[in-house]
Amino acid sequence: MPESLRDKVAVIGTGITKFGEHWEEDAGDLIVDAVNDACKEANIDLRKDTDALWVSTLYDWSGMSGWAAAEPLKLFGKPVTRVENQCASGMDAVRNAAYAVAAHRYDIVIACGVEKVLDQGGRGLSQEILYWHPSLPWQSAPAYFAPCAIRAFKEWGWTREDLAKVAVKNHQNGAKHPKAHFRREITIETVLNAPMISYPLTLFDCCALSEGAAAVVLTRPEIAKRLVGDKYATIKGMALAVETQWPYFKPGWTGLSFAATVRAAEDAYKEAGITNPRKELDFGIVHDCFTITELMTYQDMKLCKPGEGAELIRAGVTAIDGDFPINPDGGLKCFGHPVGATGVRMIAELTKQVLGRAEGCQVKDAKMGFAHNLGGPQAIAAVGIVGRPG
Amino acid sequence: MAGILSYGAYIPMWRMSRDEIAKSIGSASLGGERAVVSWDEDSLTMGVEAGLDCLTGFQPKEIDGLYFATVSSPFKEKQSASLVASILDLRKDIFTFDFTGSLRAGTLAVKSASDAIKAGTMKKVLVIAADARKAQPRSDAEQTFGDGAVALLLGEGKDPIAEIEDFSTIIDPIPGPWRREEDLYPKVFDGRLDTRYGLLKDIPQAVGNLLKKHSIQAKDISKFAFYGPDARSHTAIAAPLKIDAKSQMQDLLFKSVGVTGTAHCLLLLVAAMEQAKANERIVCASYGEGSDALLIKATDKVEQAKGKHKGTKYIASKKMISSYGRFLAIKKEIDVGWPEWEKSSVVKYWRDESWLLPLYGMKCNKCGALQYPVRRVCTNCGEKDNNVKVKLARKGKVFTFTHDYLLGPGNFTGDGINPTSRVLIDLEDGCRIWMEMTDHEIEEVNIGTSVELTFRLLHQKSDFLFYGWRARPVRQSI
Repeated sequence: MPESLRDKVAVIGTGITKFGEHWEEDAGDLIVDAVNDACKEANIDLRKDTDALWVSTLYDWSGMSGWAAAEPLKLFGKPVTRVENQCASGMDAVRNAAYAVAAHRYDIVIACGVEKVLDQGGRGLSQEILYWHPSLPWQSAPAYFAPCAIRAFKEWGWTREDLAKVAVKNHQNGAKHPKAHFRREITIETVLNAPMISYPLTLFDCCALSEGAAAVVLTRPEIAKRLVGDKYATIKGMALAVETQWPYFKPGWTGLSFAATVRAAEDAYKEAGITNPRKELDFGIVHDCFTITELMTYQDMKLCKPGEGAELIRAGVTAIDGDFPINPDGGLKCFGHPVGATGVRMIAELTKQVLGRAEGCQVKDAKMGFAHNLGGPQAIAAVGIVGRPG
Repeated sequence: MAGILSYGAYIPMWRMSRDEIAKSIGSASLGGERAVVSWDEDSLTMGVEAGLDCLTGFQPKEIDGLYFATVSSPFKEKQSASLVASILDLRKDIFTFDFTGSLRAGTLAVKSASDAIKAGTMKKVLVIAADARKAQPRSDAEQTFGDGAVALLLGEGKDPIAEIEDFSTIIDPIPGPWRREEDLYPKVFDGRLDTRYGLLKDIPQAVGNLLKKHSIQAKDISKFAFYGPDARSHTAIAAPLKIDAKSQMQDLLFKSVGVTGTAHCLLLLVAAMEQAKANERIVCASYGEGSDALLIKATDKVEQAKGKHKGTKYIASKKMISSYGRFLAIKKEIDVGWPEWEKSSVVKYWRDESWLLPLYGMKCNKCGALQYPVRRVCTNCGEKDNNVKVKLARKGKVFTFTHDYLLGPGNFTGDGINPTSRVLIDLEDGCRIWMEMTDHEIEEVNIGTSVELTFRLLHQKSDFLFYGWRARPVRQSI
């Protein structure tokens, strides 16, 4: 029988750089900031106390290795592993780091992630290769999700206005977050009148490629108490599911649900002992790479029934002062999506929320929440649940 | 005697108004419009379309040879015929050959195929002629050229729709048109010289010899399907042969298509056969450093072919190119940043050619799921190495779609104006396939839209051309 991770791993330190365009820093500079901030919060000495480190980064696609963090930190002689799992890379780094701590192989570890797209020759929204085969279409990332919106419009009567409401809500939240890339409130008209990116998604339905780094320090609760007293959160569950990277070719694909999210949510909820997430959890941070993704994720994370996602945004349920706030930090809409950093930042945000440290965007009395990453063409999902200890 | 067992044709969707060209460059309009290949088409892809049209109702595996004629081959060194044969799903032990170098290449291919059939070395030969010739912007050719393809299935078969009774040929080392290895565009020293001392001498001579040999009067021929570089020269061929230009000359299709190079006189032959009655005779003649003439006699089976093929009905199915600028872009005369896919791999393309080109999916022997692309393990049930390749339907309906303004070939990456429409199609056989659309306007794409698959150039990389399938709205008027 597999064992649960629940309450076996504590998050004792978080570090998040400002997200945005970092013309004057390279990826290493950002890692140095995020990791050192996390160590400071955890009251540890990076070199003396850290046993191992996981670093997630997507670009340059391959060949980055553990050097992505070991070199800039000059953290040599320790096990450092690079993790890449598309847009779920960051949370997968945390997941792997957590297992090492739970297995008692290491006492104190760091999971961090970084992305530096300006240095890649890339620009603007992500242009990705889907199928890795020369005769199959390659397409932009928004075109992974836009066909799902078309189906939702047809099946459930959702509208572009419903999608726009997601962007408006997240921008309202993110405007208050000091580390966010975009800190401007917008209106529904802003979204609807923006340039079309992949019909029916406009510029404001899409998150931007951004730059930044995030880090968390993990240890076991008994060590956590010694280092930070009661100022730590615990991991309740972490799950990952990989589905086909060719969803559109899969017989029976509906476009109305993301199988990877459903599977990862089931697994993480089970590990955390959660049967009714809407009641037992207080908030969530979802992978709003596109507005349609956030609405679909409400359903796939079992916050509502299929088809009811748009009703949640219309009724204000997921507003920061609603019954179940989603993306109180402003989400990917305001942070952009530095792929390797995103998932790590989400775990850091969950930790800050449950410790009452989410300045500007604190969810009232947040005790436990989930974070969700979704990578590729809805193909790879990670779900992490973090709460107050016990 | 060899006969024509079937015919087919292909005219691309796009038309350019000659008035619009003339207005844009300040020259005189020759009137009407010309057919224009889409950015993702060339002589090879058009040839595939014409071949598919021609083979409707025939088994591709029964074909013993494929002759491909063009003066606008996508590769200067690399055979088109063998690639077209693979796409059309012909056998691998067949004889393939590219006929090129002269506008007579199409009729020469027909002659060679016919001879092989007569000699008994092959039973059925598919002859395809296709051209998308590049014309120098602002030249006359920009207006006179048209893009199109034609296919004839020749065979010894018992029931040809027409008999190829005889050939005659004349060679004539007239200067033009010519195109050197390093030239993009064909050149003519002086079109008037070519017409007066070439065209108007060679076609009448080749045709005259043929008629004389068979003791046939021009008035006994129902249609003359003659090549012509332009409408006026074409009409002038009638006089020396004592042909009634009005009733006997097969319309040049100049106002609607333009002159389609090696394909053209054969395209007119198809147009004539579409109207021919049993026992009527057609004379087809090409021109290019001489002339080849074919004497053709329709049989009573000619009626059976009518309506079976799209043929020249493609002409009525069209969309206008909105501006001269877009015309230059679609013909790749201006660099609009045609995308290259950095991850593309010639090796992968080669490895999967057997199902990519003729478009096969796979059916799992365990769960029965029909799927694409072909892989070792079933995406539905996980069964390993237990499946059969199945030829996929090439028609279906759109399940969902998007218009990708950010990335895609066919438009100008990231310009925010011309999106690539991507469609998820339920093919008629139940297979799901995700494709790019082509030949469409955004408004035409909706859930439930009927589409058909079309063979196109997908992209270029490493100076190699990657071909495959796209979807287009079902061509109307067909």
